[in-house]
Amino acid sequence: MAMQPHSKKRVCYYYDSDIGNYYYGQGHPMKPHRIRMTHNLLLNYGLYRKMEIYRPHKATADEMTKFHSDDYIRFLRSIRPDNMSEYNKQMQRFNVGEDCPVFDGLYEFCQLSAGGSVAAAVKLNKQASEICINWGGGLHHAKKSEASGFCYVNDIVLGILELLKYHQRVLYIDIDVHHGDGVEEAFYTTDRVMTVSFHKYGEYFPGTGDLRDIGAGKGKYYAVNIPLRDGMDDESYESIFVPIISKVMETFQPSAVVLQCGADSLTGDRLGCFNLTVRGHGRCVELVKRFGLPFLLVGGGGYTIRNVSRCWTYETSVALGVEIANELPYNDYFEYFGPDFKLHISPSNMSNQNTTEYLDKIKNRLFENLRMLPHAPGVQVQAIPEDAVNDESEDEDKIDKDERLPQSEKDKRITGDGELSDSEDEGEGGRRDNRSYRAPQRKRPRLDKDNNAKDDVKPEDNKEDVKNVSNLEEPKKEIPPNA
Amino acid sequence: MAANMYRVGDCVYFETSSTSPYQIRRIEELNKTASGNVEAKVMCFYRRRDLPNPLIQLADKHQMAQSEDSPVAMKLKKICLKTPIGEEQAAQAVLDPAIVAMEEESSELPGTDGLAPKQRHQAKHRELFLSRHVETLPATHIRGKCSVTLLNETESLLSYLNKDDAFFYCLVFDPSQKTLLADKGEIRVGSRYQTEVTNLLKEGEEDARNSEELETLVWTPEHGLTDRQIDQFLVVSRSVGTFARALDCSSSVKQPSLHMSAAAASRDITLFHAMDTLHKSGYSIETALSSLVPASGPVLCRDEMEEWSASEANLFEEALDKYGKDFVDIRQDFLPWKTLKNLVEYYYMWKTTDRYVQQKRVKAVEAESKLKQVYIPNYNKPNPALITNNNAGTNGKGTVLNGGTNGTAAIAPTVCASCQVTNSSQWYTWGPQHLQYRLCGTCWQYWKKYGGLKTAGVFGESEGEACRGARTGEEGALSASHRPHRCTVLNCAKEFKLRAHLARHVATAHGGCEGARPVMKTRAAFFLRASPFTRLARRLVRALRRPRHHARSPFSPINLHQVKHEFTVAMAGVGGADMRAMGAVAGLAPGSGKVRVRGAVGAVAVRLATAHGSAAPRAQEWLLLTPKDRMPVPEHVAFPKPPKAPDGSLMYERVLSRAEIEARRGETPTLAPVTQALKRRAYDDINGLDRGVSSASAAPPPAKRPNKHPAPMQRPSREQYAAMCARAQATGQPLPAHVFAHVNGKPTSLSGRGGRRHVISWMDAPDDLYYRATETAKAARRALSCGELRRGARAPWRAMRPPAGPPVLPALKGTGNAGANTGTGSAPLQLVILD
Ligand SMILES: [Zn+2]
Ligand SMILES: [Zn+2]
Ligand SMILES: [Zn+2]
Repeated sequence: MAMQPHSKKRVCYYYDSDIGNYYYGQGHPMKPHRIRMTHNLLLNYGLYRKMEIYRPHKATADEMTKFHSDDYIRFLRSIRPDNMSEYNKQMQRFNVGEDCPVFDGLYEFCQLSAGGSVAAAVKLNKQASEICINWGGGLHHAKKSEASGFCYVNDIVLGILELLKYHQRVLYIDIDVHHGDGVEEAFYTTDRVMTVSFHKYGEYFPGTGDLRDIGAGKGKYYAVNIPLRDGMDDESYESIFVPIISKVMETFQPSAVVLQCGADSLTGDRLGCFNLTVRGHGRCVELVKRFGLPFLLVGGGGYTIRNVSRCWTYETSVALGVEIANELPYNDYFEYFGPDFKLHISPSNMSNQNTTEYLDKIKNRLFENLRMLPHAPGVQVQAIPEDAVNDESEDEDKIDKDERLPQSEKDKRITGDGELSDSEDEGEGGRRDNRSYRAPQRKRPRLDKDNNAKDDVKPEDNKEDVKNVSNLEEPKKEIPPNA
Repeated sequence: MAANMYRVGDCVYFETSSTSPYQIRRIEELNKTASGNVEAKVMCFYRRRDLPNPLIQLADKHQMAQSEDSPVAMKLKKICLKTPIGEEQAAQAVLDPAIVAMEEESSELPGTDGLAPKQRHQAKHRELFLSRHVETLPATHIRGKCSVTLLNETESLLSYLNKDDAFFYCLVFDPSQKTLLADKGEIRVGSRYQTEVTNLLKEGEEDARNSEELETLVWTPEHGLTDRQIDQFLVVSRSVGTFARALDCSSSVKQPSLHMSAAAASRDITLFHAMDTLHKSGYSIETALSSLVPASGPVLCRDEMEEWSASEANLFEEALDKYGKDFVDIRQDFLPWKTLKNLVEYYYMWKTTDRYVQQKRVKAVEAESKLKQVYIPNYNKPNPALITNNNAGTNGKGTVLNGGTNGTAAIAPTVCASCQVTNSSQWYTWGPQHLQYRLCGTCWQYWKKYGGLKTAGVFGESEGEACRGARTGEEGALSASHRPHRCTVLNCAKEFKLRAHLARHVATAHGGCEGARPVMKTRAAFFLRASPFTRLARRLVRALRRPRHHARSPFSPINLHQVKHEFTVAMAGVGGADMRAMGAVAGLAPGSGKVRVRGAVGAVAVRLATAHGSAAPRAQEWLLLTPKDRMPVPEHVAFPKPPKAPDGSLMYERVLSRAEIEARRGETPTLAPVTQALKRRAYDDINGLDRGVSSASAAPPPAKRPNKHPAPMQRPSREQYAAMCARAQATGQPLPAHVFAHVNGKPTSLSGRGGRRHVISWMDAPDDLYYRATETAKAARRALSCGELRRGARAPWRAMRPPAGPPVLPALKGTGNAGANTGTGSAPLQLVILD
């Protein structure tokens, strides 16, 4: 198992061995078993031993009502398959029954899923970890007083609420094939959480996520929706993911990131309609990780369970910065992965309805919106004038590396960020590439420069974003260890 | 190759009728049928032309609302989006003055700014309406791929126009409810939906959260062990497990061989336990080892898979068979000593076993009928509308005549009805046959794919509108630009002011061979039940006193106002008694339209007998019903029941397609084809138009003037028909309106709601016929007295004896159903108006 030279991080992983045995019901596509399959793969790939493994506590009703309404949680706590008939009215009111069935242990399942994400957020807050993973979480459809889309308790919202104690701005990214409506709605009117969701839109659950939904009140422009069409493949996905996320990082300057890794955006998903491979999906994790912010990874959708566990296994390895073999190791569920027993999957030949033209238009519109964000004071600043000039003359296209700068900038604004600075290099060899935002002044200017100038100031640099992709792709080995 | 490979999820063109535009469908499933054909379960997209008019207007407004952010637009959006829009709400939306005002401001699709009118016209062809309607079609009817995407506001419609086969949609159409709605959810705003945002901790403030309470560490990478050491320990723990199994009686029964024990000891549960042990031992291999072999004996970790006995496994499989994966029931009825968690865990492990794999293989074979993709070669058969050399002769002549709209017989070339081009390698007949429109190859393709003509031109959006235009033209009868309509048949060239007159002329004067001939199925077959008032009005009103005339020209309008007026005047001085008298004359039961119930013959007899004072006839033999088996058998049964199938259903003869009938008619000049045509059509013949066509190519070519008789333009599919009926019922008008408008004595206008239409189910309705009277027939008719003629009309099944000379009217004596052939009396109600 070779280590990737760049990016070793301290990773905490949350798992309860009971989780795989919750069963939504006959014919229900949501199978918590996929989390156990992932877990067994992690063990047999030897990734298990490289992480801190935690069994999460069961979130209490008190914790859950930080977001959810009291009566909704009380309802979830009391409803059981054998007393359902007494709750007809409430079941309707809380949308429990069809998509979100009442099953044995429902409440415990919610407790574990939420407990993991909350514990992970606290972990990040304490800077006891740089990356936390809770594949049992990511239930992004749950609303304040309503279950939806197989989700009952929104562990993501609870986790973000926890993060907000220490982080002025938290970024939420959602790569589930479905719109992350529960999280978006929860934070629709605040400017402290930006929700960015990439999803299939149009005649698709949950029906929200229009390009024009941008947030309301103070939260206007803090909801970012990327409506996509059938057949998104790795290339298209990256071509929109990278520029959008870069721009978001640049303008919003979060100090923590939550990534919902719904695996129903993979090719061949039972409910999905995208054409991503495990690699393309994992690429998003990789790209976000590069920003070096406290990073919470949660699960989400994913209904072809063999691929879900492939995907999350791979993404765990990405988080760890460890390369794993394409050959799947033997494990209890090995037979699920036939006939090839490989980690990676191939895209199908389905056609991609997202034309470059379409994606460009969406991207440009979103850039316009992002431009409306109040600019962080002195963002473009510190920096690198000379380098910039050089680079520009060399290669104009490379411009726009801007993302980084701002982050560093914002680090300063994080309250109580004193602690942050020391957290950086826990893992060996990791330090080289954490261009992280957290050590504010020193490193960042450097990094940005290496291959590009960063005049983020230019408003019309949209087209260069594609280039941007290539920049991000290069692992930045050439970064000087210290600045 | 790839282009002809159709996958589930693809949007495709389907050709369900050779003479109408393709239908656009999305493949949801591909199934192999027992016969080896592939059936596609598809979801329907509707074109604008398929939608009822009010909905289209609504759709346009919705579009506007999307494109503008004005408050009015927002308001409209709410109306449109929040609820499915029924007719009334649509009306409401229209009535809202603010919206009307808005409508005046602009009435274009969004994104059309800067589009030329022609592009705007074409953009409408690219709009579809999604529906949740699913149907099944043979995959061989696929005619290519297209793409349908949700219109995004950042896109201009031009991007669709510039791409072939690209469509967009904004709204979802529900064909049964006749509603449109936007498929858009809403992020709600308010304290009931948003969360309270946690405040940032203040400087120096401590978070009350304590990680220790939130989690339990079960493994940390911060240990002094190397990977190799861990691996070694794992091997040791497996060995211990193997040994433990050797010692364990129950295990040694289950795993008689060492290999099996070793395999069992290598399952993940042993490994997880080993890791836990290491962690608990503070990552000291030594400590960990000793805790693997405590005094009580080596540690044995068994998961559900191993825990279960063979008989439990059998029970489980049996239960799965019976209940499926309902583990609650399985537990209750089969394995109550297991927990639900045991069952679930076991289930997922059981799925890795050979037994399951075998079962799955069986299932996989079954599932083979479900295909992921299907290869459909390009469809190369020429469309029947293609003008081939075969009929070029007639057409050539027709063209000559067609060219001279202003009376000159100059030789004019064929002109494309859409782009006016005169040069094309291929020409297609288009629109109602008698109008002899032609489309060039390009425009024909365009029309098939996009359901309209490239230019708005004189014909409006589609041939449907062309027809509609003809109708309105007829009613208004004065649109200045109206050109005379010229008969295109050889040696005729008569001109008519109205297209409908031309149609009638074509039908009557050039109908082809004499006798009944099948026309298309009406869209709605119905019969008119006249209310007493209608019947009274027929008697009283002068305008209606020429029943023969009206019967013969069902197209000519009757002035209903005049009828009403005269009727009111005539009724003014009439008292109830008079009316009753009149009613009697009119053949009505006095005072009411109801049929009197007299009861069974027996009862009547008893009643009569009692009335006469005689004793009630008790058991008069003649009053008893003859037992069925002793009923006299008729010498000749006109319509013998078909034989019964084993399941008790009646087996009807296969119904021939029209082409076949024609072919057969050519061979044997009998009346058989007529009877055939009168029979029910098999579903295939209704729907599988192309099949009919292909069989026609196998049969000898149609004998005479194939182009002459009006061919079915759009024969609605069963679904379409049902939709139309539903629509008609809901609104009380659109569908049969054009039939009604020309029908004599439209009942509703007389008594408001007196006459009722009875819509006969599609499959039960007889085919429509019209009767073309020849000179002889007319002469024969003339020989009949008025009374006889009327009687004949009213009782069409009765054979008529002509006075003397002229031979028996052929069509009348032919079949019992020839009633429709008389062309008088009730028959006109079934006439189709081919406008
Ligand atoms: Zn999802
Ligand atoms: Zn043309
Ligand atoms: Zn003529």
